[in-house]
Amino acid sequence: MKITLTVNGKKYQRDASETKNLLHFLREDLGLTGTKEGCGAGECGACTVIMNGKTVNSCLILAVEADGTDIKTIEGEAKNGKLSKLQVAFKKNHAVQCGFCTPGMIMSTRALLEANPKPTVEQIKQAIEGNFCRCTGYQQIIEAVQDASGQLKKKEGLKRA
Amino acid sequence: MLQNFSYQAPETLKDLYALLKKSNGKATILAGGTDLLVNMHNNWISPESLIDIKKIPDLKGITFNPKTGLSIGATTVCIDLINNKDVKKHYPLLAEAAHNIGSPQLRNRATIAGNLCTASPCADMGCSLLALGASVELGSADGVRVIPLKDFFTGPKKTQIKKHEVLLRIIVPVEMAGAKFGMRKLKRIKGHDIAVASVAMARTAKVMRIGVGSAAPTPVVTADLAASTTLEKAVAAAEKVICPIDDVRAGAEYRRFMVKEFVGQIYPELF
Repeated sequence: MKITLTVNGKKYQRDASETKNLLHFLREDLGLTGTKEGCGAGECGACTVIMNGKTVNSCLILAVEADGTDIKTIEGEAKNGKLSKLQVAFKKNHAVQCGFCTPGMIMSTRALLEANPKPTVEQIKQAIEGNFCRCTGYQQIIEAVQDASGQLKKKEGLKRA
Repeated sequence: MLQNFSYQAPETLKDLYALLKKSNGKATILAGGTDLLVNMHNNWISPESLIDIKKIPDLKGITFNPKTGLSIGATTVCIDLINNKDVKKHYPLLAEAAHNIGSPQLRNRATIAGNLCTASPCADMGCSLLALGASVELGSADGVRVIPLKDFFTGPKKTQIKKHEVLLRIIVPVEMAGAKFGMRKLKRIKGHDIAVASVAMARTAKVMRIGVGSAAPTPVVTADLAASTTLEKAVAAAEKVICPIDDVRAGAEYRRFMVKEFVGQIYPELF
């Protein structure tokens, strides 16, 4: 089925297989491999993208259902080779270890910051409730979002880069 | 790549009914897809065709009428219910129940009607809508029928929906607008998890009801209790409608204990 969608501001028209999910369509048909597949069943959030302003698990949406939508993926964060403020905050606060959850984490926290520029720690935790990270223990990710929103207080006795 | 299936997205109810009739039970309705696509991904089911109902205007939206109550269209997603002004004002229990579902990503996509049609014993919307005395409107080429939600669930993953029917909307009676309420959901972790046991209670000047999830083959509800029902009688009424089982998440006795505990916790909030 022929579909038209906007991804990171760019319009694409493709013939999408009806049996392909949005995640595989982004990766295989559009070559946008930043979005990852973890569980494939809506549990882990590695495939999170922003669709019409809301975070969704792209593994649980058919490509054909995304016809006419506006999508943001991790590839839309950096501009002209320069990392976004949120990406810089993730890097600076060691919120990335293996990096597999990071594209989804950034999309969930990007949607949070767009709706709420100064989220509380509780609100940050709720926003990443659907994103599993098996490396960092989440604390550094929470600090990265606090940092990106200008709310990170320096910890006593702990020097950060 | 998922299994082979055909995909159709009708734009009118008439076309939807015609497709359902033609498919003769071989088509599955696709709304949020947060349960359906997981089941297909895991090869638990393999429908021949999917009928996407999200393009049908008649199935969209939430409306509140001070005479007839709240109507929740079949394609309403959790986040829309959570943010709806009328829901917040008149039926805050529903906003709380929808907030308890899944993760933000799932709440942005999963429909309230889908939560009911999936008919999981732990359906988060099940016990709250039961406590509010909701009904569901089912439609087909043969006409429309309304049945009380308490009669809708017939077993785990089973409902009264016939193969050519579709759930059109959920109706919450106006008599329950402004009801005092409380809800508890026991989970293994604080985040995204399904209920080990859940209880939702609602009380107006006339009636008290207790909806219970994950403690019977379907979400269940007590009979209509008097608004002045004592705590002891409310606990006994809840205990009467549940029949929990032992499974990977919890034992039957623990579930029974927690249902009684939750009724005790919520009860004072209703007065």
